[in-house]
Formats: sequence, C-alpha cells, structure tokens
Amino acid sequence: MTQLILEDQHGETTMVNMGPQHPSTHGVINLRLLLQGEVIAKIDPIVGFLHRSIEKLGEMTPYPGFLPYTDRVDYLSAMFGNQVYCMAVEELLGVEVPRRAEYLRVIACELNRIISHLIAVGTMAMDLGAFTPFLHAIRERETVNDFMERICGARINYSYMRIGGVPRDLEPGLDKDILKFLDRFEKFIPEFNRLITGNEIFVRRLIDLAVIPAADAISCGLSGPNLRSSGVDYDLRRDRPYSAYPEFEFRVVTGEGYRGQTGDCYARYWVRIDEMLESAKIVRQALLGLPEGDVKAKVPRKITPPKGEVYSAVESSRGEMGCYLVSDGGEQPLRVRFRTGSFTAMTVLPKIVPGLMVADLTAFFGSLDVVAPEIDR
Amino acid sequence: MSSTVFDYFTNIRNAFTSIFHGLAVTFSYLFRKPTTIQYPDRIDTPVQQMLPPLFRGILEVDVGLCIGCNLCEKTCPLGCLRTAVVRDPETNQRYITRFDVDISKCMVCGLCSENCPTGAVRHSTEFEASTANMVNLVIRYVKPGERIPVHKPVKGEESPGLPQNEPIARAHKEWDEPPPVDPDQVRGRVRWKNDGAPEEEQSS
Repeated sequence: MTQLILEDQHGETTMVNMGPQHPSTHGVINLRLLLQGEVIAKIDPIVGFLHRSIEKLGEMTPYPGFLPYTDRVDYLSAMFGNQVYCMAVEELLGVEVPRRAEYLRVIACELNRIISHLIAVGTMAMDLGAFTPFLHAIRERETVNDFMERICGARINYSYMRIGGVPRDLEPGLDKDILKFLDRFEKFIPEFNRLITGNEIFVRRLIDLAVIPAADAISCGLSGPNLRSSGVDYDLRRDRPYSAYPEFEFRVVTGEGYRGQTGDCYARYWVRIDEMLESAKIVRQALLGLPEGDVKAKVPRKITPPKGEVYSAVESSRGEMGCYLVSDGGEQPLRVRFRTGSFTAMTVLPKIVPGLMVADLTAFFGSLDVVAPEIDR
Repeated sequence: MSSTVFDYFTNIRNAFTSIFHGLAVTFSYLFRKPTTIQYPDRIDTPVQQMLPPLFRGILEVDVGLCIGCNLCEKTCPLGCLRTAVVRDPETNQRYITRFDVDISKCMVCGLCSENCPTGAVRHSTEFEASTANMVNLVIRYVKPGERIPVHKPVKGEESPGLPQNEPIARAHKEWDEPPPVDPDQVRGRVRWKNDGAPEEEQSS
C-alpha cells in the first residue's frame, strides 16, 4: 500500500488496518482497507499471523505421530483434518479400512460438521450484534462436545482416527443418546430460526449483500458452503465419493430459493442451517445401519509406505480440505501439503468487497465462516 | 427494497412481529431447567468424576506395570516422555531408573497410552494442572537414584492396570513450595539434560 491512488471528492482517502486484533475477524488476520469516506475502495487481506508450519512439522514427524498435528489445521473441525490425513496414508499403504470404521468416521465427521456450523451461524449473528443466538448455539454445541468426549476422549482436538481405522468402538449406550439428541436437535433448528433467522432486522441486514456470482465463486476456487450458496451444486461427498458416503441419502443444499439473491450473505447463512439438518440425517442413517465388524485394519506399527504421491480430499465444513502427501519410502513423509477452504475464501475478498461499507464487511466476513488458523496452517 | 408507503409500513410490522417471535423463544427459557453448572465450587461431585472414562487428561504412570519397552517414548511426537532402563550385569535383571513425563509439552493425543502393552501409561481424568511454576509440571515417577525392577507380565493374564477414574496421586498444589530446581536451568532444551540419571542402556 505505498501508492494511494484512489480519492474521494475531497481528494482524501484513509488507510485503515482492520485487525490483526479485531473481534469480527475470528482470529488473527489483518484486512488492510482503503476507504473513501465509509465505502471500501480496496481491500488487502494479509494472512500469515497464525502460521505454525504444520506442513514442515509433517516432514519431521513419523506418519502416526503427525496425526495430532492435523487436529490443529482447523481446530473447529478437527475430525476432517484427521480423516483427510488418514485417507492419504491409507491410500499410500493400500490399506482397506473396515466398513464399521468408515461408518464411525462418518458419524464423527458429521457431528463435527454440526458443531462447526453452529459456531458459524452463532458467531455470524454475534458479529451483527445479536448475542443471544450465539449462546443458544453454544449450548447445543456443548451437548455434541459431550458426545465427542465419549467417542474419542477430547472435546476440541479429537485425534480420533488412526491410520487403518479408528482406535476404539463406540461405548455401549452412546448410539441411543446420540439418536435422542438428534430428535431434540431437529426441533432446536426451527426454534433457532424463530429466534434469529426469521428476524426481519437480521434478514434486511443480510439479503442482497455481497453477492458472489457463481462464475466468480468458481474462478476464486471457493468450495464448500460458500460455493454451494452461490448456486453451484457441488459436494465432494456426492461428486467424488469417499468413505461410506455413497451409502447414505442426503440433499446437497444450494443457495437457491431463499429470500434475497442467490449467493448473498443470507443464502450463505441458510446453507449452513440446512446442512446441519442434512448432517443430522446422515448421522441417524449411519447409527441405525451400523455394520458389525472390526474398527481397525491391521497396520504395522512402523509405517513405511512405498514411494509415491497421493492427494486425498474431504468435504470439510469450510470447503474442500485436501492433503497431498509425497513418500520417499521412509518413515517420514517427504512433503505434506494441506489445501483448505478458508485460504481460498480470502481470494474472493478483493473481488467482492470494494463498494461495500465497513459495517457490511463484518457481515460478509462472518458469512464466509473463515477460521484464521486454517488460512495459515 | 421498499418502494411504496405500504411496503414501508409492512417492513416495520414485520420487524416488530419477528422480534416478538424471538422474545417468545427467550421467554420460554424462563421455565426450563438451566443448562449451566457453577464450576468449580457449586457442584456436588468433582468434574473429574463426571467425565467419561475415555477422557484424555493428564498422563499418569504406574511404574510397577512398566516392562521397560520404551515404546511410549518412541511414539510420542513431541518427546514429552523420557525413560531409562539399566540392566544388572550379574543377575540380568532390568531396572527402570527414570520415568519422567513433561505435562507442559504433552498434547494429550493418546498415542503413548494406546501403544503401551500393559497399560502402565494411561490418561487420568485429571485436568486441573495450573501451577505457579512450570517445573512442577515435570512429573518424575521414578525418583533420582531409585531403581524399580521391570514388570514381567504373566502370559494369558490380563494386566490389572490402574482403576478407572482414580484421582491422580500426585498433586502439585503447593503454591508456596519452592521450585525443586532453579527454573532457569530447566527451561527449554536444558530441561532434558541428563541430570544425574544413569546412562540409558539400549534394551534388546
């Protein structure tokens, strides 16, 4: 930002740093804004404050030991980091995961998606000044966290999956408790909608705001709920099936048919609300049709995959999360690379934001559901 | 957007009604049971006992069960465990001379406790580890100079392991206790310097 070219009618522009410590940026990220009055003329997202060199750590850690680090790629949906890494190593090794383990993985992942989307909609409402819905969302999240604690022993950084399956079976009685929760959860969503989603002030704040056209969304590499809310019907769970997803019936939610335009902030909000219900449906199907069998395939303790490279991708709650792994036949990977949805969501900012007001940027940024550690890794 | 006067007033009406919809939801919570608990002083049972048995808390070690296989140290991605085994040249008996766990490094991933063949290393449900000095977070299960003979598991017999949810024996709550070592000496890498423990012998 050395040259200030843009000027308002008085010949004045202002450069404002939004962040790195800003409550609405959900983490440490700096948005450098060039303002003409209150209208944003240019935005420059500066990322890298939360870089923890997880990819480099992967090159220094043996294959099983890197698994806890994959939790930290995206701490709000740690299960997807686990899954994408395990899938990559399993593909390198040629290990077949038992079917029961795949089902357990799907259950854990979809519960994780519910958690993550609850945070997304809750914090989005909080960014716009409504604090109550956030507490309601957090309350439901805590219930799911209790289940996570019983499934894998931790509430945030799960470290649940292992190369070749999952470490242990569900504890007895847990499936009934989860089913009971899902019944309650499906009633909670309409209540949540009465509380905030249908609120006219909230709606007016979001509709027709920051519309991302489908062409822009694709060219910027958006994925996940942000892409689907622009009307692009694309979901890795259905279009590039992995794990046990082909065995379940679910609807891919797109941003069409809601109030306002397709691709605006309100559509992005609604896509997440509806995806939670779809996730609940998948969990229910998986729990009711849970097959018998082992939960872990036989994997040697010392994992040395053959030479080769592999890319695996899962539909995380923030878009496509991919893991690219190169093996040179040793105990440690030669290269680990993560592709995350939040980082690509940053590239859409310079296209959409110019012309918005500063206050609208908060709403737009909240609707993108960006997690700062996932941007930098 | 609102183009006519009618639309203008419709908007206002919608805003009012939707606010009352939301307030009705909030009001209904007046008659529901509270979901929060008042941690830590106003609960009947300690949180440690309410947690599920799988909960991964602070690592605890039953050295009497350790067979000295060194697997936990090898699997730990961070190197927060440190063990040493010596062999008596006369009787051929192996002794554990060192078993340290650095909780401040541990990221409770559960890899070590899963790989432990006898269940000597395991997670407790203890999680309140705040202390005034970081040195207190290094737990030495074998005191310097002590020699504990390795456990010899009987074939076909289940290892007893520690009872579930047993509170961890060690409790570093002595706030005014002077630190055992000069804190500057143990920070960072210096902490794992061979501080008097006998040289580690590679067990076959």
